[in-house]
Order: sequence, then C-alpha cells, then structure tokens
Amino acid sequence: MEKKKVISLILAGSIFATLFSGCAAKGVGENPSDKNGGGRTAEQEAEQKEGEGNSKVKLTALISKSGLTKDVNELKWLSDLEEETGVEIEWQQITADWDQKKSAMFASGEIPDLLFAATADSDYVQYNGLFEDLTTLIEKEAPNIREMFSDHPETESMAKTEDGKIYGVPGYQAVWPKVSGTMLINKTWLDNLGLDVPSTWDELYEVLVAFRDGDPNGNGDPTDEIPMNFMNDFVSRSGGADILNMLGGTGIQITDRAPYGYFVEDAQVKSCFVDERYKDFIAFLRKLYLDDCISQEVLTQDYSKYQSVCRADGVTAQVGFTFAWESGDRFGNELKDQYVSIPQIKQNAEIENAPYSYDFYGLNYHGNRVSMSSACKDKEAAMRFIDAFYEKEASIQVLFGGINEDDPCIKKNDDGTYEVLPPADPSLDPGTWKWTNSFADIGPFYIRDEMREKLKLGTDMVGALEEKSVYDQDLEKIDPKSNLYPQTFMKYSQEDINTMAMNQANIDNIVDQTAAAWLTDASRDIDAEWDDYVENVNNAGLTQNLEIRQTAYERYLSDLK
Amino acid sequence: MKKITENGQRSDWKRDWQLWIMILPALAYVLVFCYGPMYGLQLAFRDFDFSKGMTGGEWAGLKYFKQYFDSPMFWPTLRNTFTIAFFTLVWGFPAPIILALVINSLGGKRWKRMVQTAVYMPYFISTVVMVAILQIVLSPSTGILDHALKATGLFSAKANFLGDPSAFIPVYVVSAIWQSAGWNSIIFIAALAAVDRQLYDAARVDGADRWQQMLYVELPAIKPTIMIVLIMNLGGILNVGFEKTFLMQNSLNKSVSEVISTYVFNIGVKSSQFSFGSAVGLFNTLVNFAFLVAADRVSKRTADIGLL
Amino acid sequence: MNLKNVKAVKKGFRGGLRNGSYYVVTLIFSIIAFLAVLYPMYFIVIASISDSTLVNQGQVIFTPKGISLYGYRQIFKNVLIWNGYRNTIVYSLLGTALNLALTLPAAYVLSRKRFRFRKILMFLMVFTMYFNGGIIPTYMLVKDLHLLDSPLIMIIMGGLNVYNLIITRTFFENSIPEELYEAAVIDGCSHFRYFMTVIIPLSKAVTAVIMLYYLVGHWNDFFVPLLYINRDNYQPLQIVLRNILLSNQAMVGIAGGGASGYAQQFADQIKFGVIIVSTVPILLVYPFIQKYFEKGVMIGAVKG
Repeated sequence: MEKKKVISLILAGSIFATLFSGCAAKGVGENPSDKNGGGRTAEQEAEQKEGEGNSKVKLTALISKSGLTKDVNELKWLSDLEEETGVEIEWQQITADWDQKKSAMFASGEIPDLLFAATADSDYVQYNGLFEDLTTLIEKEAPNIREMFSDHPETESMAKTEDGKIYGVPGYQAVWPKVSGTMLINKTWLDNLGLDVPSTWDELYEVLVAFRDGDPNGNGDPTDEIPMNFMNDFVSRSGGADILNMLGGTGIQITDRAPYGYFVEDAQVKSCFVDERYKDFIAFLRKLYLDDCISQEVLTQDYSKYQSVCRADGVTAQVGFTFAWESGDRFGNELKDQYVSIPQIKQNAEIENAPYSYDFYGLNYHGNRVSMSSACKDKEAAMRFIDAFYEKEASIQVLFGGINEDDPCIKKNDDGTYEVLPPADPSLDPGTWKWTNSFADIGPFYIRDEMREKLKLGTDMVGALEEKSVYDQDLEKIDPKSNLYPQTFMKYSQEDINTMAMNQANIDNIVDQTAAAWLTDASRDIDAEWDDYVENVNNAGLTQNLEIRQTAYERYLSDLK
Repeated sequence: MKKITENGQRSDWKRDWQLWIMILPALAYVLVFCYGPMYGLQLAFRDFDFSKGMTGGEWAGLKYFKQYFDSPMFWPTLRNTFTIAFFTLVWGFPAPIILALVINSLGGKRWKRMVQTAVYMPYFISTVVMVAILQIVLSPSTGILDHALKATGLFSAKANFLGDPSAFIPVYVVSAIWQSAGWNSIIFIAALAAVDRQLYDAARVDGADRWQQMLYVELPAIKPTIMIVLIMNLGGILNVGFEKTFLMQNSLNKSVSEVISTYVFNIGVKSSQFSFGSAVGLFNTLVNFAFLVAADRVSKRTADIGLL
Repeated sequence: MNLKNVKAVKKGFRGGLRNGSYYVVTLIFSIIAFLAVLYPMYFIVIASISDSTLVNQGQVIFTPKGISLYGYRQIFKNVLIWNGYRNTIVYSLLGTALNLALTLPAAYVLSRKRFRFRKILMFLMVFTMYFNGGIIPTYMLVKDLHLLDSPLIMIIMGGLNVYNLIITRTFFENSIPEELYEAAVIDGCSHFRYFMTVIIPLSKAVTAVIMLYYLVGHWNDFFVPLLYINRDNYQPLQIVLRNILLSNQAMVGIAGGGASGYAQQFADQIKFGVIIVSTVPILLVYPFIQKYFEKGVMIGAVKG
C-alpha cells in the first residue's frame, strides 16, 4: 500500500518535472534556431577534435521512400556520394503516411536540412519561409543541375514557382516510355473463339460478350471468365486513371491519363467529365457493366483484389481485357504470354483520329525531387551533395542501383555503355530489385538523353517498351501547343491552389457519385440527367477551376516560346 | 457572517487538501496536454499563415464557417453523419447490454468464460483489417456470404453489399456491433458482477422468476452505468468513426458515406486547408457538445444521474 | 462442453417454465453470438496459412488450402518486429501504470460529493473530450517539451482518458456505500488512507476494466508513434507491422508502376499473419484480468 503511494507520488513528481522543463524550454526557445545552432556547433567542434582533420559536414535528411527500399544507410552508391561530397547524412526514412506527418512537421517549423521526395509546390507557398530558394546556390554549386536546365529548359521552368524562385529541384528520366497504361487483351482467348482483335467499341462489345458466354479459357466452366476489368479509381483522381485511356477512342487527346479529368483541346483547358464524348463513353461502359461484361466488383475492389483476380491461379486466365504498365506485372509470369497489347479502340469506324494518352511528361519529368531547409547550416555543402545525384553516372545509379560489388545493379562496359543487371536475388523480379536497391523513380536524377542508346534496360522495361510500341501511331497527332495538357509544368498562386482544392473536392463528389450510379444502376437515365449534371458540376466550381487552369496554361504557352 | 464563511473555507481546505493532491497529477496532465494546445481552436477564425505563426494569421471571422454552410456538401455531409450515427446508436447501444445480461445468466463457468472471451476478441482487430475482412466476406462474386445467399435461392446473384448505397448503413452497423458489442459489454458485466447476491435471493423469496429478476434486479442495478454510457454515446453522436467510414467508402456508396469527418479529411488535411478544416471540425464539436449537454439535462431530470 | 448449462436449464425447468425459458433463450443466444464472432476469426487463421489467390477466389471456407507459412516467415524474418514487440510491451505497461496513477485518485476526488470544486473540475475534464487544439498545436507542444522522438511520449500521451475517468467515478459513487466513508471519518481516517485501504481494495472490478481499456489503447496505439516517433528503434509493434504490410502491398500510383504487385500472391497472407501476430499477445492478457469481474467484489464490504 505504502509502495503504491510512493509510486503515485513519484509519477506526480515526474509530471511536474516535465512541466517545468517544458516551461524552461519555452523560455529559452524564444529564438529556437539560435539555440539549436549553438548545440550543433558544439557537437561539431567535439566531433572535429575527436577525428583530427575530419572535416565532414553533418547534415540531416529525410526521405519519403518506398516500403520496398532497404535501409538507405546500406546503399553503397549513396554512401559513396556522401563520401565524395564530404558530407555525413543522418537519414530519417519515412515509408508510410508521410502526408499525415508532413503537415504537423512543416507547420511546427522544424524540418531536416534536406528533404527527398517529400515536398510539393503547394508546400512552398503554404509554409512560406521554411524552404530555401535554391536559385543562387544552383548557380554557384551545381554544375550538373545547370546542365539539366540548359539541355532541357522545361525542367528549369518546372522548378520555378510562380514568382520565379526554385524551392524544389526536379528530375528528368529520359528513358521512360510515352504511355503508362497499356491495353491488354487475351489473345489466347481470341484465338480459341476465332475472333479478331477489336478495333471499334461495337467489336469490343462483341468480343466481350463472346468471352462472357463461351469458355475461352477452356477449363469447362463458362462462368468463371471476367470479360473486362480495371482499377476502380476511374474518375477524377490526381494521377489520372487507366480506363480514361479509352476516351481517346472518341477523339479526345488526354495527357497523363487525365489528372482530375482535365485535358486540352484547341489550346482550351477542358474537363472530360462534362464533355458529350464522355457521356457516350460512360453510356458504353454502362452497357458493358449491365450486360455483365465488366467485373461486377469493378467499383469496390481494392488494388490487391484486382491484382489477384488478374493473376488468377497462375494456370487458367480469368480476365479477358484490362490495362497494365506491363503484362508480367498484371498477370504474372505464367499467364503474361497469353496477352497482347492492342492499339486504341475507336468509338466507331467514322472516327478518324483516335489518339492515346500521352504520358511522357508525367513519366519522365518529376518535380520537387529534393528541397532544402532555409535553416540548413551549411547550404553550400548541402547543395553540392544534391548536385552529386545529378551527375551522369550517379543518376542512373539513383534510378536503378549501384555500379559496384556490394549492390550490383548496373554493369559498366568498357565502351562506355551500361547494362541493367538481372536481380542478384533470383527470387525477386526486376522491378522489386530496382526498388530495393535505389531511390528508383522518386529519386533526384538527370538521366541524359544519350542513355536511351547507352543504357541497356532490364527485361521488365524492355517488355514494357515493346508492348507500348503499338501506340506510336496513335500518339502522332500530339501538338504540344494545342492539345497537350502540361499539368507537370503549370504553376499556380497560393490563393488559386486553395480555391482549386476546395472546388475539386466538391466536383469529385458529384462526378464520382454520378458516374458510379450511371454505370451500375439500371434505373438511371443518362440522357435525361445529363444537363442537370453538367450544370451541377459547373456550379460546384468547375467553371472557376477551368478559368484558373486556362490562365496557367496560357502562361505556360507564352513561356514555351 | 463573514467569519463563518472564512471558517467554512478554512475547514474546507483542512478537509480537502489531500483531495487536491490526489487530483493534481490528472489536472496537471489535462492542463498541459489538453489545454496547452487549445489555442489552436482560433485557427478556425483566422487565415492560416505559416510565416506569421499559428496565431498570427489574419482574422477571418466566420468566413470558414460560412464557406462550409454555403458549400454544396454541407447538407449531404450533415445528413449522412446523422443517419449513420442514429442507426449506430439505435441498434448498437442495446447490443452490449443484452449480451452482458446473457453472459451473466450463463450457469456453466467454462462456457461462460468461452463466450466472454470469444465476443471481446474482435475488438482487438484494427479497423483497416476489419474492413479488409468485410471486403473478402461480402465480395459479390467470391464472398462467403454471397455463396450462402445464392445457395438459399432467395437472393439475386447481384447483391452488392459493398457498393449498394442502401446496404452501406446495415453493413456499417452490423460490423460495428460485431466488433465492439462484446467489448462494450465488459463494463456492464462488471456492473452486474457488483450486484448484491442478496437482492436475487430476496427477489426469489418474493416469487420473481428469472425474467423478472432481470427486469427488477439486474437492470435497475446497472441503470446508472447504462445512463452514463448512453449520455456519452449521445455526446459523441457526430463522431462517426472516421477510419472505418473512410476505408469503407467507394464511389458507389459515397452519396451516403461522405460524413463530416471524411469531408474534413478530404478538404482540410489532404488539401492542407487548415482553417477550413478547423472550422468544420469545430462545428462538429459544437453540435456534439450541445447533444451532450441536452442528454445530461434530460437524464438529470428523469433519472437524477448526470455527468456534469 | 457445457454440462453445467444443461444442469442450469434443467434446474430452471424444475423451478418453473418461465425460469427455464430464460436459460434456454440466453443459452441459444450465447451459442449464436459465439459462432458469429468466432467464425470470421477462424477464417483469418486459416487464411493466414492459405494461398491468397485461393482465399480471394472464395475457395477457403472451412479448411486451409494451399498451405504455406510464407507470411509468418516474412513477418518474423524482420528484426524490427522483435524490437517492436519489446517497445510495445514497455510502452503498454508503463503507460497503463501512469494511466491508473492518474485516473484512480482523480476519480475518487470527483466522486466526493462534498468536494466543492468537484463540478468545475469535472467540467474541465469533460470539456477536453470535445474540444482540442488540433494536431499541429499539440505537435508543437511536444516539440517544445523535447519529447519528439522520445519513448517517453509513448507513455505520457493519452495519460488520462476522460471516458475511463467517468466510468471509475460512477463506480465509486454507486458501488461503494457512503456509510463506509462515514465510518472511516469517525475513525479519523484521512482521504489518503481511506482511498488506499478501502477504495482500492474494493475497486478491483472497475480497476480491471479500465486497466484493460488503457492497455488495449496503448497496444493498438498507432497515431501517437506515427506523429511523434521517427526513429526505427523506438517504433512500436503496430508501426513496424504496418510498414511490413505496406512494403508487401502493391504500390498503386508509383510512376511507371514498376514496383507493383509481384509479391502480391503473398501480400494478403502477410496481412492475415500480421493480424494474428499483433493480436494474440494482448488476447492472452484478458484471462488474467477476467477473474476480477466475476468476484462480485462488493458483497463482503456491504455485509461487513
């Protein structure tokens, strides 16, 4: 009993201790940067005394990395980079929920010296003063980044905020294809049923019906085939959606799989969700869904469910038609050979020009790969470290992994060419291997255009590129000045960002719900509801968002000249 | 007069100083960790401006509240929140009480313990996993429930529990009961455990059968607990579980599943609209608080049990 | 399985049909509840050792199919998980101890009807259930207290749960007879002494309940470490498990899609394994606490 009393008294006491230390900290902390600075310098001095002549600059860095990536302290190429530039980085590695951590950390005003893949344009305006304007530092300390800016001026304009400052350094990937989502159809099924690859919506419908009624996978069960399937985020997502690729069949040229549904036509920013051609498209999808040609779970399945349905049991294919970055990824190695990529499917034979989504910008230009705290102690050293990522050979290591014994991901040949090696761990596929050993696609790098010739890619990429070559023709009608929606390069003010965010949330609500209902609910009448729907979406803020985006687009066009 | 008061106070202090010491740790905690950050509330009335600090943004008055009231999402989010909360309360509240009464009546110690242990287990499952299980069990093509329903021949093959807006609330409520009825019954079981055995004996002597003992001994004994829990539930009426709603949400059921908290998340957090988010959050809080006070009043008047 | 229940039912029938019907109804009800709760849990267990593709295809219903322990091997291969276990146990035990040290005395004070400031203090507490400053000011406070990235924050945060406070207070008010206090006062007993010698021993039931509430809260706590802990060696189990889950989950939306889904077949297996690994230890605590519920602790006190 006495013991308990003592314990509770101790606990009470410790609370008080915390309280007082808190108050004390607040008192001293009136000038927090000074205090920290003092602390760090003392530490640094001690460090220096300890290791005579060791003049390494100590920095802290945060990376919002993929969960597949191993502890970055174990990446040999990265420690080499630190070594070369004379810095020692204490890494904070975030693999999940960065968005939730971010707002608290940023708003508190205390951030690490360097942030990799952790910031967005809106952060620089929202947290004004937290990040360093890198313009002069790049001028002084970053030859590689300057090289990228001069070879690809669009990367520089991409880096600049509306008022001409550079808070985040972009990356350029060069070797990635122009198309992200490939349409894949099961050729074995087509052959089994004696059908041709469909080229119009009507033909597609016939093929899907045949998939539904027959037993193309030949397992004796005519009901286990799912004629068509796709990932459910089919409307208004920031990253666009695979299914919207099919909008090209109506003649709409979309870019980057239509983020939030926006596209450009005749130099006008438009939203496909209020376009008559989208009405036709959703009506077509509705027909497919109600006739059981589309998976009945298409709107409710999550990604892993979708994926496992497409991979089936690894022996008998279940899905006839869907989208993928690469067939091996979607269907697994056992089934992928049954599938072929097919060119755009036209709404009807009269459509002359049926383009495909042009995703080169989204896949090859990445904004805000790295940014710096304005409280960083040694900005020059930090900048030199950043710039080291953009060096020619370093860049490909950032993307694919090291050129060394420890993490053998790339082989350097004597003639100056490079080769992406197959995974050293045979149980991993090339994609997973890459993401394990590098910063991969989220890293800061400048892959030179020459690497298209000089770098031999891994089997997964070669396969993907081959599959995507069917769209070369569909993509010919691209005109960067009139029908390309360059979201990657468009800049907005803080006020506009806020307005658009509010409006977009409201627009998404209407568009999502309506599309879902039209698709699945037989009692709804698209034609009758269309006008009201368009009016609602416009009133929810689409009109305003289009105006803002149009202005930004025109600014982009004038910069282009 | 004055002297008496003084004396009264002194004797209060003499009597109560130990009480103050006992409540001090809790009070200190609440003051530091709950009231310390409370200044954040005024964000709802200011334009958030990072460079000027949390309290430095321009005064915006009720701008963000007005923005919410004018937004096309105001009525839908409010309506959805109330609907979900109402059904959760109506169906979800009695469940743990019934369960507690049932468990309390079980004679076999082993069986009683088995049931008790079984029903509280789902509570430990995280919401993420809970929703994943729902998705597997309720899947329209492969789910176990679907197989079972088809086997009865009474339902069409297209019953889509996850997509159909009219199925959202039943699925939400039933799964909530599944997950938490057992856990919530613990408090009632504990209350029942404290019921004096003599009361049962007395009731039996008076000729009350077991049903009557439940009505006249057990229920009155746990009534204070029931009332308190009910008041708490009413006070939290608008706190519809964000995580679960958010995870169960899809474009098919969004017309019924977009509640205030998911809306705050979509606009306030995802789009960094701190001020707007704070305003909507504060509105939610005020409504909740109003419910709590009202419920407390009613309970005090009718049953003389209160919280405040 | 439940011979005693059958006996109880029989006894009930001897005592009259209405008594018997009560026991029959509750017995049937308990069986239904038991199965309805247990089957999905059983399903998780068999799903965790079955081929995920078969699970998603709805082929795993009563028995596991395509048995493999891949998921568990993956989970336990991770060194961080052992670390996470240790951290979670430490945080949960110390955190719960602090919770009880704050809650029980405070509840006692608030149950004293003659304590003048009781109402205002209660209001002060209840107010915080509804109003809070939000994530960012709280984060700044923690930063100013130098508790960021400190294991201490895992113990201190959530130190007092007002809901539990109210439960405890209600118990003290309603289940501990006021006569005991009056008798104690006549004996010249101080509040400290009365609390330690009378209240605490008589409150095992409610202490067990709120202890369990607190313990589970700490065990499943996800949000506090998410916000305040960034260093790997301080991470609790829930965060470690979540990271394992995410690294095995297909990554939708990553540019180029190159990283997605190769390990998909096993991702779900890992998911189910994770539920079991994280849930079983806390389940084991319950039986130890359960006995206090059944004791009917008050009887002796009132009689005596």
